[in-house]
Amino acid sequence: MSAEVKEDLKYTDTHEWVRIKGDLAQIGITDHAQSELTDIVFVELPNMGKEIKKGEELCVVESVKSVSEIYAPVSGRITNVNKKLEETPEVINESPYEEGWIAEIEIKDKSELDSLLDAEAYKRII
Amino acid sequence: MVLKSPLHKVHEKIGAKFTEFAGHMMPLYYKSIKEEHLTVRKSVGLFDVSHMSNLWITGKEAEKLISFTTVEDASRIKDGMSQYTVILREDGTVIDDTIFMHLGDKYMMIPNAGMNKIVNEWLNEQAEKHDICASAEDVSRDYVILAVQGPKSRDTLQKLTNVDLKTVGFFQCRYIDIAGVNCIISHTGYTGELGFELQVSPTALAEDLFYKILDAGEEYGIQPIGLGARDTLRLEKGFILAGNEFEGGRTPLEATLGWTINWDHEFIGKKPLLRQKEKGDYERLTCLLCIDRGIPRHGCEIQKNGVKIGRVTSGTLSPCLNKGIAMGYCQPDYREKDTVLDIIIRGKPVKAKVVKPPFVSKDWLKTKLGNI
Repeated sequence: MSAEVKEDLKYTDTHEWVRIKGDLAQIGITDHAQSELTDIVFVELPNMGKEIKKGEELCVVESVKSVSEIYAPVSGRITNVNKKLEETPEVINESPYEEGWIAEIEIKDKSELDSLLDAEAYKRII
Repeated sequence: MVLKSPLHKVHEKIGAKFTEFAGHMMPLYYKSIKEEHLTVRKSVGLFDVSHMSNLWITGKEAEKLISFTTVEDASRIKDGMSQYTVILREDGTVIDDTIFMHLGDKYMMIPNAGMNKIVNEWLNEQAEKHDICASAEDVSRDYVILAVQGPKSRDTLQKLTNVDLKTVGFFQCRYIDIAGVNCIISHTGYTGELGFELQVSPTALAEDLFYKILDAGEEYGIQPIGLGARDTLRLEKGFILAGNEFEGGRTPLEATLGWTINWDHEFIGKKPLLRQKEKGDYERLTCLLCIDRGIPRHGCEIQKNGVKIGRVTSGTLSPCLNKGIAMGYCQPDYREKDTVLDIIIRGKPVKAKVVKPPFVSKDWLKTKLGNI
């Protein structure tokens, strides 16, 4: 069973995905990442309004056994977080690309997007 | 060198994800820790725990050697009985916790993973030093250890043997034929559920037995279970894990294992324990149930009003309660039931209250899971 990689998204080599919505970047973790982590049981969401730099720790996702840091794929201000994950973190396992999105960042520097991987490049590293 | 279980290929074949634990490459999980955990609580699971050690203790004073090197008076443990105990250093701190089985003229001891050499040497040293006519032999590599655990464990194994398993009482052991394989069965486990542990030798017989147990348990939804769920299952019951809870040198009194100590016999480490018992001001292992959201992990600080009073030795999310649970050593003043303490997780205090183990009781399982 191979992991799903969406053609219309951008990726990082640390297994985050980015959906570009104008000036906003919606962020989550990939199907590959959720299947490696297995049951996600806790998400510590980032603070709304916080300024974050590309590559910094955005939030933490925990499975029963492990703690995994999720990194910001782009720099900017965090404008929205998926509150639903606090009560139902397993949504990330069930729907990593849709219902299981984690946060939205107002993109500060669009040139940073160039360094993200496209679907083909991401498929090659998983 | 990392050791592999004789069943390693079987685990690979059925899709295990592996982890290294105390020098052994063992299954961490097959599909999901949570699902495997609940399968054991509700029905039955099969564990390969061959990473655990096996020692034979033989000689005409085998009983004396065990009595002298553990907190148990082995003369109490009759033929056909298993006993949980701890082995201490001269200073009263724990070398290892173990179960020993009295099997006729000899004993089998099951030290923890990676402890076979240390415990074996220690026992032989003490036998020599104190002129005890007994010796220990490390036979860990000659045995596969299977654990069948859960409310349906007896029904599963009963299909594979003519011996009425109801005659093998809690903490009893004996030789038995299971699916035509002669093994040692002990009515013990590390899950807090009805369960049995099987010592299988030669190891070449274990693969067939492993599949036969899976077949026998199929109607109950049996699953192979990895070390991930083994850890969450034991923690929900408040059972200690040697590598975590004895780290840094802890006495059985500190580890709340006072109940295992038989004070009416001489044993290594007794004097410092008596002194500690009299003084009474020692840190004790304390169980904490999170009130706030958060998962405590090994090493998290425990605070009261911003002051450190202890550290978490084991922590996880309880798959049954869906809440963070932890054990850690705390000063005696803070161990009163329902005392609210803070566990510091990634720099933030998470409120937790002191509870008496187990975190998940038989009553809870009965009400919530309908277990009998």
